[in-house]
Amino acid sequence: MRGYVRPGNSQPVWLFPFIVMSVLILSVLPLARLAMVGIAAFANGGVIDVLSAPSLWQATYYTVVTSILGTIISLAIGCLFAFLLTLTDIRGKGPLSFFFVLPMMIPPQVTALAWVQMSGPSSPLLKALSLAPPLGSPQPLYSVGGIALLFGVQHAPLVYLALRAGLMTLPRDGVEAARLSGASSLRVFRDIILPLSLPGIIAGAAISFVSCTGNFGIPAILGIPASIFTLPTLIFTKFSAFTSRTFGDVAVLSAIIAMISVAGLMIQDRALRGRDYRVIGLSGASAAFGLGAWRLVFTPLLWAILFFMLAAPFFALVAGALVPAYGVPLTFKTMSLHAFQEILFRQAVTRTAFINSLSLASATAVGLLVVTVLAAYALTRRRDAVSRIVASLIEIPYSLPGIVMAVAFILVFAAPIPVLNVSLYGTIWIILIAYFSSFFAVSLKPVVSAFHQLDPALEEAARLSGASFFRRLFDIIVPLIAPAAGASVILVFLIACNELTISALLWSAGTQTLGVAIYNLDDSGSSDLASALSALVVLMVVIMMLLLELLAKRLPKGVVPWRS
Amino acid sequence: MKTIVSAAALLAASLFAVPALAANLVLYTSQPNEDAQATVDGFMAANPDIKVDWVRDGTPKIIAKLQAEIQAGNPVADILLIADVVTLERLKEEGKLLAYKSTEAAQYDASLYDADGYYYSTKLITTGIMYNTSAAMKPTSWKDLTKPEAKGLVTMPSPLASGAALIHAQTLAAVPGLGWDYYKALAENGAIAAGGNGAVLKSVASGEKAYGVVVDYLPIREKAKGAPVEFVFPSEGVSAVTEPVGILASSKNAEAAKKFVDYVLSEKGQEGFLKLGYIPARNGMKLPEGFPARDAIKVLPIKAAEALKNTDQDLKTFSGIYGSN
Repeated sequence: MRGYVRPGNSQPVWLFPFIVMSVLILSVLPLARLAMVGIAAFANGGVIDVLSAPSLWQATYYTVVTSILGTIISLAIGCLFAFLLTLTDIRGKGPLSFFFVLPMMIPPQVTALAWVQMSGPSSPLLKALSLAPPLGSPQPLYSVGGIALLFGVQHAPLVYLALRAGLMTLPRDGVEAARLSGASSLRVFRDIILPLSLPGIIAGAAISFVSCTGNFGIPAILGIPASIFTLPTLIFTKFSAFTSRTFGDVAVLSAIIAMISVAGLMIQDRALRGRDYRVIGLSGASAAFGLGAWRLVFTPLLWAILFFMLAAPFFALVAGALVPAYGVPLTFKTMSLHAFQEILFRQAVTRTAFINSLSLASATAVGLLVVTVLAAYALTRRRDAVSRIVASLIEIPYSLPGIVMAVAFILVFAAPIPVLNVSLYGTIWIILIAYFSSFFAVSLKPVVSAFHQLDPALEEAARLSGASFFRRLFDIIVPLIAPAAGASVILVFLIACNELTISALLWSAGTQTLGVAIYNLDDSGSSDLASALSALVVLMVVIMMLLLELLAKRLPKGVVPWRS
Repeated sequence: MKTIVSAAALLAASLFAVPALAANLVLYTSQPNEDAQATVDGFMAANPDIKVDWVRDGTPKIIAKLQAEIQAGNPVADILLIADVVTLERLKEEGKLLAYKSTEAAQYDASLYDADGYYYSTKLITTGIMYNTSAAMKPTSWKDLTKPEAKGLVTMPSPLASGAALIHAQTLAAVPGLGWDYYKALAENGAIAAGGNGAVLKSVASGEKAYGVVVDYLPIREKAKGAPVEFVFPSEGVSAVTEPVGILASSKNAEAAKKFVDYVLSEKGQEGFLKLGYIPARNGMKLPEGFPARDAIKVLPIKAAEALKNTDQDLKTFSGIYGSN
């Protein structure tokens, strides 16, 4: 290696520019293009048409209302689980935590499909139990309330994880001092724990709100049949009535979604500003409260919530896959494996979707890891303004809804790339690049925190002995950050495997992902096939999470999200 | 520690097969998944050297996808097999289709294909009324759906999602005594229009709604499987689409595409449709189980050229009545 940047910083010259280039391509270019198209639409006056359409304001209203209600529901469920599982001596914390995080890993349209199968006059499950409502009863989930409820269920784990991280670092001595002075449990909770856990609650609320505004799977399955359109589903339908103005229209719509999410994040900032939460003392308020007789109330309550969130919808999904035709009650006589046979052995699209989703997910996870190890090295070794800007540019695509990123990438790659003269639109590569952009931050987080824990002396010693950059990277750094890297790969893999929002706009012949395949099967009226495929996907997710659970003992603390 | 990473990397490497991009033929179709797969399987059995990839979506959506690809300079599809001739007529006028004179056309009524060979009808799909067997009223005419007994219990596909639904609305709009006023009366009676025909089937078979406007083969097929539904051909007549096939001018596999057109028009291909429960378009074919005799089905006429001209206006009118986007 020749030419070092400056003494004491032994990075090769190309490293930081390489990272800056990646960030430019993955983050700056698409967002700048989106802004340009939006501004061009403004300049041409086309924006007046878009902004004056009542459908737009209705969709904006539905987006905000469902997101706010959904956030409130996810806060209620998430906080209940976080407080009980982190601060009390409730039994079965491991399994409870594992199952509670599961809905986050399941594609939202699968959640929606399962709940639809579970309720309303169409439910094969209720029919089998003779509990189905009479003919003509509306499906209660096809409503604003239904969308909000599922938003809450889908995003409660996000609140749980955010709050739990904060609760883990509560100062124990504050609680103990209050206890010794004779404060009741309720008093301790109200005056000490609640104020100190506010940042976690607010952060969880913000993440949940942003995820709700960008969610496509749930309003697509629950909203479209009732003509309730949110902004993401409106963008999707704009593409179903394609005109020369469509690209400009969706750019404007994406900008509105982006503004709503940014407004949510700004409220979070305002809420946290001017408060100082630095605490001293021993952290780790594990099991601060003995539940005593209350355990008999809370344990069944938590398991009952989990039953309704997970077990009942999953059984409904399986029941929906086993009925021979719609409206036929499910009995041992009528049960048929036709849907599973069709999905596994006849439909070419299933295999295509599995191959696409798995290869996209592994390529994203492994490919990003290479970039993130280099990026984390560069960002932790250079601590200047430029690297801080680069770090925040990496964060932006992740904090914007997936559908906004998808639109941005369509705009960038709709025309053939100059010089090379190939068009990525309609190929698998555009989906891959969009995934790289959207999940960069997810992949980076565990790796950066591992770098912060590295002792620089080791690498320094190797450098003084004349080891080259790559030699140091492979022999010293990689082994030390291996556990975090493994976690980063698995997390990105799980998230990318179940993604629908981005691929819903970018798929084409032969590039369907699992999310797209399930949505399409349901859309063509084959909800038995959609249910069968969904059930398989849920099984796959559970197996992957169990693998991660088995690996957890060998990983550093805090890497597997649902473990303490 | 090292082992975990290398294991993860190995796992990823083994999974990362380059996805199939190089299929011989790409078909864009609006048939339901199972039918599309069956059609493609039949063709590949007859032509083992040609591989077909297919994509399924509602006609308006699949055409939108195609238009977006054309604008991006990268149309993926070689063949279209979609609901109605009006859509293909529009593509023909835009110069997007390839003319091909299939010898199979001799077995078809001249009204069923384009004289220059730009597209050929493959089957007859009529739109009538399905009802749940537990419904109180047994409808026999379109007018029955505006009766108080059907209040809030009617569902239909949206022309924004289904090609057959658009043709259906345009057909009924031209019938004296029905027209757009009929659609207004339906809306006042609490009818909803959302999604495609699949959604209507689900909603009626499951009892969320009692009556549905829907394409014929879905309920007839489901009834045979035991679903609690019936299908009627209303007394005023039914609208029909003919699911035409056409080759895109941009196709790089025109020879293979021509073979596909020949196959779906051939006796063998038509028998495949018959097995799936569709009325074949070819002369001298039988009708599927559960259908009345062909001459007993009264098909309402539609003027394709006029329908094409009025499409945007009709969609606006429909959206205006049903408040959908």
